Amino acid sequence: MRKTWLRDYILKRLFYAVIIAWGVLTITFLLVRLGPSSPADKYLTNLATRGEDPTQAIAAIEARYGLDAPLYEQYLDYMGNLLQGDWGWSFSTSMPVIELIKVHWIYSFQLILLSTILAALIGILIGIYSAVRQYSKTDYIATFFSFIGISIPNFWLGVMLILLFSVQLGLFKTYYDTSIPLLSLANLKQLILPVVTLGTGMMAGYTRYTRSAMLDNLRKDFVRTARAKGLPERTVIGKHVFRNAVLPLVTIIMFDLGSIVFGGAYLTEIIFGIPGLGRISFNAIFADDYAVVVAITLISAFLVLFINLATDVAYAYLDPRIRYD
Amino acid sequence: MKRIWHIPLLAAICWYVVASSLLLSYSPAVVFQPREEAPPPARETGGAFISGTSAGDAETLNWILAADSASFSYAGHTVDFLVTYDNEWRVQLRTAARDVEVSESGLVYTVTIRDDLVWSDGSKVTAEDYVYTLRNLMLSDWLNYPYKSDWQEEVGGEIAFITPEVVDETTFTITRQTVDPEFIYTVRNLIPYPKYIAVNYEGDIEAFTQAPEFNNLTYTGNLGPYKFGEWLRNDKFVVERNPDYYLGKDTGAPYFEQYIVKLFGTSATVHAALEAGDITYTGIDPDKVSKFKNMEGINVYTVPTTGYLFLAYNLRDNGWEGLKIREVRQALSLAVSKELIIEQVLYGFGEPAYSFIPKVSPWYVEEGVVRYGVEPLLDEEEARELLVNAGYDEPIELTLVTNAGNEQREDIGYLVKEQLSAIGIEVELKFVPWATLLRKYLMNKTPGTDEEPRYNNGPEAVSEEPWDLMVMGFNTNPLSPSGQDVFYSTSGGLNFFGYSSTQVDELLKRIKSEEALDEEARWELYTELSQLVSEEQPVDFLVFQLANVGFQDNVKGIEPGINMGYNYHLWYFE
Repeated sequence: MRKTWLRDYILKRLFYAVIIAWGVLTITFLLVRLGPSSPADKYLTNLATRGEDPTQAIAAIEARYGLDAPLYEQYLDYMGNLLQGDWGWSFSTSMPVIELIKVHWIYSFQLILLSTILAALIGILIGIYSAVRQYSKTDYIATFFSFIGISIPNFWLGVMLILLFSVQLGLFKTYYDTSIPLLSLANLKQLILPVVTLGTGMMAGYTRYTRSAMLDNLRKDFVRTARAKGLPERTVIGKHVFRNAVLPLVTIIMFDLGSIVFGGAYLTEIIFGIPGLGRISFNAIFADDYAVVVAITLISAFLVLFINLATDVAYAYLDPRIRYD
Repeated sequence: MKRIWHIPLLAAICWYVVASSLLLSYSPAVVFQPREEAPPPARETGGAFISGTSAGDAETLNWILAADSASFSYAGHTVDFLVTYDNEWRVQLRTAARDVEVSESGLVYTVTIRDDLVWSDGSKVTAEDYVYTLRNLMLSDWLNYPYKSDWQEEVGGEIAFITPEVVDETTFTITRQTVDPEFIYTVRNLIPYPKYIAVNYEGDIEAFTQAPEFNNLTYTGNLGPYKFGEWLRNDKFVVERNPDYYLGKDTGAPYFEQYIVKLFGTSATVHAALEAGDITYTGIDPDKVSKFKNMEGINVYTVPTTGYLFLAYNLRDNGWEGLKIREVRQALSLAVSKELIIEQVLYGFGEPAYSFIPKVSPWYVEEGVVRYGVEPLLDEEEARELLVNAGYDEPIELTLVTNAGNEQREDIGYLVKEQLSAIGIEVELKFVPWATLLRKYLMNKTPGTDEEPRYNNGPEAVSEEPWDLMVMGFNTNPLSPSGQDVFYSTSGGLNFFGYSSTQVDELLKRIKSEEALDEEARWELYTELSQLVSEEQPVDFLVFQLANVGFQDNVKGIEPGINMGYNYHLWYFE
């Protein structure tokens, strides 16, 4: 029975996902193309330097990329190509969009994955400890630092880390070096500062969520019952309290992972010169490179929908009482 | 986007300055005489030169499709122009065997290329490649070359193209129907495409755009000091030493094994990288110069640029009507101190501007130029008097706009507000996003018509939003400042502020006519033009900016100056 309703539920959600993704695609396409700027705006500098009248050059560029065609034609063209598996040509980077994403996703992925794992591991442990030892010195210190971690801007933290550990102490390079193989210790080493930069805020957030969720559950009757039954404290905390507290955390962590594609690590990528998808997509927005923006938004939408679905399914497994209609 | 009008800081040094200056050019006495020097001594090669920049990435290596400067800069490492210029604007021969020859009539340009240039497949680069590039690519209908108008002329009211013709294997001619004394600078800037590859894509813009040979620069043979290595978008562009470089036969140049352009997201991180020794070179923001000058291991050079900042007056119908009166414009210019701007906004790295011609230009004139904004023409009393004489003795309220996020321009806005307040003009400041500034304040159209908004839709056109003053920046080509006609001639395509003067129009036209073939005559025309615009004040020319660049001190062979990258293939690590 359980398998059947779950399968039906997944199929229904997948169908909705396609509809939602189409809506996202269409809105993004229109927003990018209807925005106030033109892909040719940035050429004004060069045109001006050369004493060039911009009208002809801008018209030439727009004609070359089909941007002079009516919007509906551009849209139908794009959709037609997409249905045939052609994601289009990125005119701001001169390569196929799908190639661009293939090359760059890994830089965002490794950064966000490592940051999330590290932040989750440390954040959850500190959160549990804080909750169990509520109002202790450790709890106050953890609370204090988690508030600082949440408040501190990524941008500022990253620059400070570079100035201290790279410029003053010379322990790391000031930027992410893409010539180092991805599967190497040297790569892990150069990811330390970016991961700390991105992970600090996440870790502080996880600490607060975990502490709060644990405290909620610690006050519940089933905990008192478990203790009254004489279960060891470790079992009470680990098996009963934490298991119930972890559910909302799963959602948060999964959504943090979902930001891999679009902008989740943009500032960290900027600071450390990491050529990830966040940086690619923001540059594409400023270049009005709609093929890239739409593709990344679409993938991002699918990823969020998928993660949402995965989270719901995980809920069902983690809590047998949950059932979706 | 926000700093789009003043590129040169970071790109100024390496190839870009060489490349962009090639487009421009002229020095009456020296330009046509190639510099002759003993070849430099051969040196050992090694190391990677890493140029850090927080400017944007290039769009394409298929440079004929590009309109952004970074694309030309990247491709320029692998293919040389016909000639380049040193810091004194003397011609440096590159792929040309001798300088471009101009016929007495000023209509025929003869180009002779070196006979030892080869493509990557070993075949010779010939005059046919150049002519093919012009005729079948640049001037074609299917390619939409963005700078096609460089090769156009107006003949009897019609647009005509120049005529390129092969003379022999290494010689070709370009023939015009009308005289333009400054066309030579365009010709000197030619780069060829390999005909044997390009013919395979001819007529098919999609195939040409995506052609792997052009997008990976696999054809460049011995045409440039470096060969394409790798391009990771938004991260780095890497070129490798070209051992076959035609200029390296005797000297072994270039001397770096790799030349890398490393992209950073912010100027703070690129500065940190220079300080840590992780990169070899970068541009330095004015406020950081003293720090880097005091740093061991870093050499900082201050070099002129061609970028100037100015205060535009809206002379269209939705600007304050007083600005249409020359004396009122002069009054405003009398009240705004250029030296204060240099001191307080540019940290001393600027020079007062009195026209659009920079000091480094061979056509720069001091004599007879009216110097508003510096003593003794910095005078509030006189400014007030001029306003009263023009009929404005009541308090005036004006709106000043500039692009938000550009701190220099915002700071200038505050200074202008403060100084104009002293002569009874209250200024409201508006800082708007770049795209908004372009669309709502610069672009204009005639009210009540369906015309497409442009930067100059004629004298009746007005912008969507009203404004009176605008802080903005332009670049001048020092060798052919007449290119500024796009801004200051009545029909100029970028004359968004609506300036119109028959005298200025006439002078700009004469500089591009047969009369100006004579250098003395051209000098006089530029002198008259400089004097006229300094008097007329179509805008308040504020300052020419100076750039600062930092190198690790083990880089040798640098000649600081306006075109300091001209000999970068001879730079080396000590």
